[in-house]
Amino acid sequence: MSPTYPSGRDVLRESVREQRRDVALGSLLGSGHQVGEALVPVLIGVVIDRAVTGSDTGALVRWLGVLAVVYVALALSFRYGAWAGDRSAVRAEHSLRIALVRRVLHPGGGAEDGRLPGALANIATEDAKRVGGVNTAVMYGIASLVGILTCAFVLLRTSVLLGLVVLLGTPVLLWLGHLLSKPLETRSEAEQERAAHASAVAADLVAGLRILKGIGGESAAIDRYRTTSRDSLRATLKAARAQAFQSGMVLSLTGCLIAVVALVGGRLAAEGTISLGQLVSAVGLALFLLGPLEVLAWVNAELAQGRASAGRVAEVLATAHSVTAGERSLPRQVRGAVRLAGVSHGGLREVDLDIEPGELLGVVATDPAHATDLLRCLARRADPDAGTVELDGVSLRDLDPAEMRTVLLVAEHDADLFEGTVRDNVTAAAPEAGDPEPAMTAAGVDQVARTLPEGDGTAVSERGRSLSGGQRQRVALARALAADRAVLVVHDPTTAVDAVTEAGIAAGLREVRKGRTTVLVTTSPALLSVTDRVVLLDGGRVTDTAPHAELIARHETYRTAVLA
Amino acid sequence: MSDTARTLLPTATQARTRAAVRELIRPHRRLALGGFAMMIVATSVGLLVQPLLGRIVDLVADHRPPGSITLPVVLLVLVALAQGATTVLGLSLVSRLGETVLAHLRERFVEKALRLPLEQVEKAGAGDLTARVTRDVSVVGEAVRSALPELARSLLAIALTLVAMAALDWRFFLAALVAVPVQASTARWYVRNAVPLYAEQRIATGAQQQQLLDTVAGAGTVRAFRLEEEHTERVTRRSSAAVELTLRGVRLVLNFYNRLHVAEYAGLAAVLVTGFLLVRGGSVSIGTATAAALYFHSLFTPVNSALVLLDDAQSATAALARLVGVADQPSPELSSELSSEPAQRTGADIGIGAAGTVTVTGLHHAYEPGRPVLHDVDLTLRAGERVALVGVSGAGKTTLAKLIAGVHRPTSGSVHVTAGAGAPREGLPVALVTQETHVFAGPLADDLRLARAGAGDDELRTALATVDALDWAGALPDGLDTVVGDGGHRLTLAQVQQLALARLVLADPPVAVLDEATAEAGSTGARLLEQAADRAVEGRTALIVAHRLTQAATADRIVVMDGGRIVESGTHDELCAAAGPYASLWEAWSGTRATADRTPTHHPRPDTTTVKDH
Repeated sequence: MSPTYPSGRDVLRESVREQRRDVALGSLLGSGHQVGEALVPVLIGVVIDRAVTGSDTGALVRWLGVLAVVYVALALSFRYGAWAGDRSAVRAEHSLRIALVRRVLHPGGGAEDGRLPGALANIATEDAKRVGGVNTAVMYGIASLVGILTCAFVLLRTSVLLGLVVLLGTPVLLWLGHLLSKPLETRSEAEQERAAHASAVAADLVAGLRILKGIGGESAAIDRYRTTSRDSLRATLKAARAQAFQSGMVLSLTGCLIAVVALVGGRLAAEGTISLGQLVSAVGLALFLLGPLEVLAWVNAELAQGRASAGRVAEVLATAHSVTAGERSLPRQVRGAVRLAGVSHGGLREVDLDIEPGELLGVVATDPAHATDLLRCLARRADPDAGTVELDGVSLRDLDPAEMRTVLLVAEHDADLFEGTVRDNVTAAAPEAGDPEPAMTAAGVDQVARTLPEGDGTAVSERGRSLSGGQRQRVALARALAADRAVLVVHDPTTAVDAVTEAGIAAGLREVRKGRTTVLVTTSPALLSVTDRVVLLDGGRVTDTAPHAELIARHETYRTAVLA
Repeated sequence: MSDTARTLLPTATQARTRAAVRELIRPHRRLALGGFAMMIVATSVGLLVQPLLGRIVDLVADHRPPGSITLPVVLLVLVALAQGATTVLGLSLVSRLGETVLAHLRERFVEKALRLPLEQVEKAGAGDLTARVTRDVSVVGEAVRSALPELARSLLAIALTLVAMAALDWRFFLAALVAVPVQASTARWYVRNAVPLYAEQRIATGAQQQQLLDTVAGAGTVRAFRLEEEHTERVTRRSSAAVELTLRGVRLVLNFYNRLHVAEYAGLAAVLVTGFLLVRGGSVSIGTATAAALYFHSLFTPVNSALVLLDDAQSATAALARLVGVADQPSPELSSELSSEPAQRTGADIGIGAAGTVTVTGLHHAYEPGRPVLHDVDLTLRAGERVALVGVSGAGKTTLAKLIAGVHRPTSGSVHVTAGAGAPREGLPVALVTQETHVFAGPLADDLRLARAGAGDDELRTALATVDALDWAGALPDGLDTVVGDGGHRLTLAQVQQLALARLVLADPPVAVLDEATAEAGSTGARLLEQAADRAVEGRTALIVAHRLTQAATADRIVVMDGGRIVESGTHDELCAAAGPYASLWEAWSGTRATADRTPTHHPRPDTTTVKDH
């Protein structure tokens, strides 16, 4: 079980804690790099002071040597420090991604309710990356602070007054910059969102290209996109202006700080309190300060984004499970008796149903929504609002949904295929020793394989969209049959299959599932005619139960539902 | 079809890409000139800082009174304010230029993309166009938004700083050039290694994204089949591969910086030595030497960012070439709505005659040479006739439907559609509705208006009512204004197909081709959809690819295909009596109806009972 994450803050903290060694190492070496960078302008000042001013060749050589040593040190510490920092970021991102996937796939479900797959995938990539990036941001933040402190230290040693100017000036500058950018940021964020809308609209139109072409809607779509694009342009321009304003303000503020340092340092040097070289260093340091200051601003933005992303990650991780695991477990030998007692859920009203072990039962629902509700309860994607569903006398509520699914399989109408060959898909859930051939033949996949270029070794892509609807359905059905579960519930497995093939599948299905409990939720007469008996769900209630032929003969509602 | 060799959509050459960018910028020449002039001013003003600082150094070295430095300090403040103001202006202008050009480019791209013949899009694979419209547009957009202004600023800063150093003394300029060979070779080395590595990285990231989407979108299936561990493992593998490549990229970048540090040191030492020698020789002041050293020191940042941005620029150029490649596609006759539609829907040619007569003559088709799917098909659909196309999977029904709808160009033979005598009808002659289930994101009404722009609410309601969708559509939270599609209210598959049929009603073409438009809905839904489809094609010539024979049986005529040929044609009664392929299909279908002694809905046929008994 994944640990519970109550908040985004915890996600951030945990992510940094896991990578603390790399973050610490990165911060240490990064600080070394910053100290080195701060020393460069100091050394420039020293060279001017000791060598240039007095034309001292020996001093020049000596101090250039010192500069070389500083360079080697700063280059190496940057190299290894940044390596540790970046490694911590990608590792944190990776482990978050896996945690998210585990949560989404948790047998209790619930994480994907109300979230589109694209949005979830985005959280597992973009947001995970932003949260991971906080590790690097922390490291660079610490290093920059050390750089600023080094700067202040050197300046304080030179002159307390000069040091104080920088020490006080820097935070004031940062604070002013923050103050200026705050309202701009919120505004530009909203505008950027609108800007992103244009690309979403374009992608959506392209995704529906075939439909557009089918009804000749290209011109209307192009006009619509142009309107969206212009709207988005207006929003982007506003955001860009705001950003330009911010950049300009930061430049002006920084320039003013340099002027103040030059004023104070210049007067001190003119009064002889500090040397010429120290003035040069002070000015150089004030310029150097730009770097770490900008990095701090960047770190601030990264942290803000990281916090927002961590919030989204936490929200997914903390989603309540749709169903919870009970304490009981299944008997070693499952007979496959399924019983619904007084089940009300969605449109279902007090449904009572006894399914004998080994029975092949048909279920006809006059309203497709009721069929879906029934399947949700059987698959335990949700627990019924009232009543119980039992498997071999044990209520599904009392079982671990993961364990239950090793015995009871609900094969949904819109089940997805996955990347791999046709054969890989069929055998995905098959027992190791099992032979998938009977399942493939029964579902008509042998026929499908014959029309594919590489038979059942043909790769399936785009979640099965590379196959036609009928082919996809047959492969999905073969997978359900090959899984060889004690209880199998199949929903509308042949809607896109032609009549002849469907009749073959009906017979094959009966043969393969002989002796094991099978429920066919469908209105296809071809499939219903091979069942032992059929239950009619009308208005959410069980209104009749009898063999298919009998119901056809005597029940008008049934006839309408199945034939017509 | 999925296996035909991929022919990716065109990519523009470098020269063509450059020319296209020039064309796009041309209407905004003034903006471009103004923007860059302002950036040059901003950068030049900024370069006054170092000489002013040098001036202060000189004043101190000359032992002037402390008050004398007030003037340069005041100037420094003025420079700061001027630099800020000009930067605001310059950046605004440059981003306005970039964003406007980008908007035009993406609009042109989307326009051309939507007008591409479907055949070409399908040959390229669905992913190609989607990747261009999402990734490439955003890469170029990102570059225009951040990389381009930054790169321009950096390059300007470098160039103008070097000019400023030369202005101090030409020998400083020469000293600064010491760093250039190292930087140039580093940049070349970096781009050479980075381009293939990043290409590999993008592939790995794409694979990871695809796997995530597969796993997340199929989470229900994964859980049902207990594939959680396997899928976690799949994602982990893909993610690890991406992590590995990212770290390789990091190593490369760090190596790159390492070399740049060497260049920095070499250049700085050279400038300092030059300053030392020039001051000793008396040709420059200490202040000037200081300004030169400070100049060189201030070059570090722009040089680093310019070199790093080289990579962004490179990938943006590649993305741009892919966009221009599509945007450059020749326009299929833009003159009028009427002529543009048939022109791109290449297959069918349009003539004048009884509205909606379709004549297919000697049609052959093969998606790949040597694997024919249609042989010598002749077929005439009379105006207003409803024809059902039946046959087992793989008989060639969909191919024939697509050829008639003009999606593909036949290998040989012809499809002729008469668009109506006298005043030709507006809009497209043949509409195609397939089992595709996309809903356009946005208000439901907007989705429908794609079929008929400017349709009033009443027209939309009538169309929805025709396909039995008005009840649920009216009951949506915001009625027809309810946002549907990606990120909006979710519709059931049956509702999505009803929408597709409603669009057909609104598009109002003389000929409608329905390719299993009712298949995805499940069997109960299918029946309701069939009724909706019947009403949607009323008054039109209709070709309906049906897998439910009840739908076929009610058609005016049934055409049976097998192995890419038409093997039978006639009414339900005739074909049943003929005891040919259709009769056996019908037997298989109705035979499963066991004791059912009912005939399909509104065509009482006494003889069907005999066919069913077996």
